[in-house]
Amino acid sequence: MAKRVQDVKPARSKETEAWFRENIAEQKQRYAAIVKEQDGLAAQREKWVEEFLQVIQTKGFNVTGDTRRVIKPSEIAKKPKGRHQVVF
Amino acid sequence: MARPHIEPYVELDHPFKKFGVSGFKGSSYKVLSLDTDTGACTLKVRFDGGFKRKPGLSYSDMEIFVLNGKIKVGKQTWTEGHYAFVPAGMAVGQIEVPQGAEALLMFNDSEPSWVESDKNHQLALTEAFSSVNSYEDRPWGGGSIVSPSVATGCLIKLLHYDPLTEALSFLYCMTPRFAQDNISYHDSAEESYHIWGTSWMMQFGELPTGGYFWRPPYINHGSFRCKYGTIAFGRTDSILFNYFHFNPWTNPDENKLRAAANLYRKRPQLYDWVASDGHNHPHGPPDFENPDYTSEPQVRMLHGEPVGGTVSRSKVGTGGKARKKK
Ligand SMILES: [Fe+2]
Repeated sequence: MAKRVQDVKPARSKETEAWFRENIAEQKQRYAAIVKEQDGLAAQREKWVEEFLQVIQTKGFNVTGDTRRVIKPSEIAKKPKGRHQVVF
Repeated sequence: MARPHIEPYVELDHPFKKFGVSGFKGSSYKVLSLDTDTGACTLKVRFDGGFKRKPGLSYSDMEIFVLNGKIKVGKQTWTEGHYAFVPAGMAVGQIEVPQGAEALLMFNDSEPSWVESDKNHQLALTEAFSSVNSYEDRPWGGGSIVSPSVATGCLIKLLHYDPLTEALSFLYCMTPRFAQDNISYHDSAEESYHIWGTSWMMQFGELPTGGYFWRPPYINHGSFRCKYGTIAFGRTDSILFNYFHFNPWTNPDENKLRAAANLYRKRPQLYDWVASDGHNHPHGPPDFENPDYTSEPQVRMLHGEPVGGTVSRSKVGTGGKARKKK
């Protein structure tokens, strides 16, 4: 098997390990803040979704490039119950 | 768990931190995204005026995009818009930043590392090195390098292309009044940093200058709008295929099933073979042309395996194993 430079990387130094742990913890906080902020957009997002559904039924949906197809009302999905999650 | 979904994150609202890791002292950084298993990361780094570093190498593939200022690297001077791909183990010349500079710095395989050296590591795949000023030395091309494609008004400059995985690094722009009325997702993770400008997506709202995202595969994004124009740096970690649709409420599992159905229709024999018991290769089937690809960092990261070690033969898919649920 071909060996790669990545295979011979020395173990993390204490300094680097500390850097890694600290930044994992901070990223967790950033992620939580993003989820909270995005949850706060829920009401606004519902309006954006309504507008989108209108646009694709009038001006059309971009199939590829600038090619559009007008979507029929029967093709629109039914909104499921529960929270509209956008961050995963 | 690899990198989490970071979207949107506006880094300009957050302070820099002193970079205390060897090779980076004298600079400050912000983490934009970090792989919590491997340490692979995208950072915004500010090199203070007077920053100097001797020639050296990293144990990870590295990409850099200069946002502002001048960075002397050996005999070259990298200015605003400069992009470089530096393969793991390749020595880069002495770095000097006389008056300060900011850059996106990306370590693709593991945490930031640097050791002093004026010679390439004997295992370095140096032919992968590339270095270009993206603003001056590359033309804008239509965004339709893939099909289905983005709408007119999204232009790209391809900066790096991995021929095996089809991972891309690129500069892109959206013209004023750009609009695309569909929802997209991909098999690849997608990353972007807004150098200048604001664009909008139906899920996340506005992403302004300094806005960033790291979006794992199969997550809905779009429709899209851009009122006054945007220029951004972007990457994918494998092939970019646009699965467009118009159901605002699907989740990544449903999107992945739809992608699998798409594969089934396009390559039914291959799909059947892969899916049937006894033929499944959870660590990738053998490739006679690239027999060692399962030891590549990207494939190992896919399976949550350590990048700083060697994959044992027993873990490499050689056939005859029943399908495992992952
Ligand atoms: Fe996308």
